[in-house]
Amino acid sequence: MENIGLIGAGIGAGLAAIGAGIGIGRLTASAVESIARQPEMAGDIRGAMILMAAFIEGVALFGEVICLLAVFK
Amino acid sequence: MTIQKPLIISLLYLLSIGYTYAQEHTQEEKAQAFNPSETIIHHILDTHDWHLTDIPGKDANGQKVYHSIALHLPWFFYDGGFHFASDTEALLEKGYVPYHDHLYKLKSGIEATDLRIAHGEVEGFDPERMADEHAHVIDLSITKGSLQMLIIGLLLSMVFIAVARSYKKREGQAPKGLQSLLEPIILFVRDDIAREYLGEKAEKYTPYLLSLFFFIWFSNLFGLLPINSNIMGNISVTAALALLTFIIVQVNGTKDYWRHIIAMPGVPTAIVPLMTVIEIISLFVKPFALAIRLFANISAGHFMVLSLVSLIFIMGDGGKSIGGALGIMPISILLTLAILALEMIVAIIQAYIFTLLTAVFIGMASESHDDHH
Repeated sequence: MENIGLIGAGIGAGLAAIGAGIGIGRLTASAVESIARQPEMAGDIRGAMILMAAFIEGVALFGEVICLLAVFK
Repeated sequence: MTIQKPLIISLLYLLSIGYTYAQEHTQEEKAQAFNPSETIIHHILDTHDWHLTDIPGKDANGQKVYHSIALHLPWFFYDGGFHFASDTEALLEKGYVPYHDHLYKLKSGIEATDLRIAHGEVEGFDPERMADEHAHVIDLSITKGSLQMLIIGLLLSMVFIAVARSYKKREGQAPKGLQSLLEPIILFVRDDIAREYLGEKAEKYTPYLLSLFFFIWFSNLFGLLPINSNIMGNISVTAALALLTFIIVQVNGTKDYWRHIIAMPGVPTAIVPLMTVIEIISLFVKPFALAIRLFANISAGHFMVLSLVSLIFIMGDGGKSIGGALGIMPISILLTLAILALEMIVAIIQAYIFTLLTAVFIGMASESHDDHH
């Protein structure tokens, strides 16, 4: 019973990864679609996509940091 | 040459201080079972010994042991007065014990007969029994991370002073060499980050934004190399950078900025107290998020690389099963290469995001009244 916190940490890390996956997946889907519609804007769209992916990943990593804290305390 | 010579001399001096204390660790470590979480934690945390490598050998009985080669960094701490110890053994002789990121002072009657094993961790120390509760020791030593920061600072100075000198020398001519390598990046930070979000006040903050960008980028890149320390994966460093951003934003906040926080105009009076609380919380959350974003991104990358490489050792059962290790090796190495490639991109993107958000916060805080309404 004393290690029940580890279950919570594992589930939390998995959920954070799912959140990042969904967010970046949707972002990439619209980015690729708009590149297909207007190929000459590919450079701008690619730049915006990479920047926003880093922000979304940042949010997911906040969750991961909390889970790490739960494991190592 | 006139600027570079003192810098080179100070770099050599810094390295020689470390070298004087480099000793071959006479306490050998027996080949132990591989503990992945301990190894990973040890590689991520900041230490007082700069461990270079382990050399296999045999001890007096013919047992296989590892001699570890490490630079033992000196201890410098404050306990009533300033104290200095040349390495952890000397520190134990003085009566202080480093245990779990904290420096304890031994009670007056107790001697330090603890063993030092596992790369400098002190064993056999019980803080409740042996520590003096009334002593508050503040550790001020130059650890591996601090030394790495100093080296990167020196490297940045050397590179950018050289670039500045070549700009002065080649006025009106096309850039050449290091100058032409860094010019697009410097112009990118100046135009697309500083001038875009700060407008006319860009000149005042561009030096800070440039320093921030290149410091974070170079630190992230050097952290990926072996033997180097990972300073942006240390929450203290990112928290310090976020604190600097916080201070600059508050100091440069106009009256409009504070007005928007304390009592935002154009909001029904019933909600104003709630808005004030939310705005004050967001004042602190924004730099906090900056610190955690950088810390988590860089640490996560290192964690993944370390875990993938540890897979080889886990599958090889600590050296007993060569087949298992060889089987997982191609997959592990390919994945590690992929993650390292991603980490190189993440290095510059995180530097860009930190600098960009700093510029945005400064711009929002120092906006004059005419721009907004």
